Amino acid sequence: MSMSFRITHAARLLALATMMIAGLSGCISMKSYVDPALPKAGKGDLVVAPDPKPVQVLFEFRSKGAANAAATSQIRPRVVAVAAESGLFKEIASAGEAPSGGVLKVMIDNVAITDNAAAKGFGTGLTFGLVGSMVTDGYVCTMTYTRDGKATETTVKHALHSTIGNKAGPEGLTPMTPADAVNVIMDQLIWNGLKDLSTKGAFE
Amino acid sequence: MRTSIRLLFCGALLAALAGCVSTPALTYQPSIDNTERLLSDRDKLDVGRFDAAAGVENRRLGMRGSSLNGGADGTFATYLKDALATELREAGRFQPMAATVVSGRLIENRMSAAGASQGKATLAADFVVTRGGEQVYTRTIRIENTWESSFIGAIAIPAAITGYSASVQKLLGELFADPEFRRATQTGAIAN
Repeated sequence: MSMSFRITHAARLLALATMMIAGLSGCISMKSYVDPALPKAGKGDLVVAPDPKPVQVLFEFRSKGAANAAATSQIRPRVVAVAAESGLFKEIASAGEAPSGGVLKVMIDNVAITDNAAAKGFGTGLTFGLVGSMVTDGYVCTMTYTRDGKATETTVKHALHSTIGNKAGPEGLTPMTPADAVNVIMDQLIWNGLKDLSTKGAFE
Repeated sequence: MRTSIRLLFCGALLAALAGCVSTPALTYQPSIDNTERLLSDRDKLDVGRFDAAAGVENRRLGMRGSSLNGGADGTFATYLKDALATELREAGRFQPMAATVVSGRLIENRMSAAGASQGKATLAADFVVTRGGEQVYTRTIRIENTWESSFIGAIAIPAAITGYSASVQKLLGELFADPEFRRATQTGAIAN
């Protein structure tokens, strides 16, 4: 076996190993897009009660209905931050310490909706099938506010579209990192949920 | 000789890529359902000793070559104890040195992440409630919990880590839902 053959063979093995490692390590770019269907809501859209009460916020993130502790831990601070910024509550009480206030229960479930989104009740702002390698995640936020035995509930739905590799994204939408897009979606779900509850007079 | 070296190289490469790691259980998060159950009562509770019965896997659960480790001290008994304290704290019912104390023993702790489409955990514990040192409640609770998994380890292992935490939520949920437990943890409950 000649020296040049050995070098070529070694180079091929090295190239193959590099490709394998790159492929398995997931070095593939992923871009995320926030669905445009859900209206943007903010503090100015809320109906603030004249005498805001303290609130205890309970939060749980689920994936297809199953509790997801890692996501709950990561997203809980955002939920509490939006509740605090909203001005709807006198204070965000520590765990179990809101005897004179209410309890805001927020549950967000991440569901797959790439197939047949309309049948699943998601009014997404995109037509599916336009982007070859696009997948869509749905987020269903169920928010319940309870005080003095009276419970008011609302449900808000949102969607996140993700493309993998060099595929073009949905036209007109800004590509974001998955983490940034999820944060935007979580915030919009909470703001819209609080808006719905306040419009229903839950905090009066 | 050359073949042996190649096999060794391939083995090392595959072992590295398989990600044979040991990871601690997720920081426990209270379940909304459990918090709501606990909020139904106001009596304060302390959390006592938790251990594991002989022969129960208390430190390491296998997940396709990787492993899941227990709580703060590396044991699953402590993970269960801390989970109970977290649930009580979230509902405002945890109080160190309270007269009523909940303790327990893990008697079954198994998990399977090997399934191509489903993961499964089976947990069981003996729970005991004492008030002023007197036993007022004892019950064995056993649960099975399943979750969606995958043939692909990169999906199956994180799913198992999340699934175990959810299994502990379910075990505690069964305890909190037990009417006898509720009665036993209310002030003025009569010892049985």
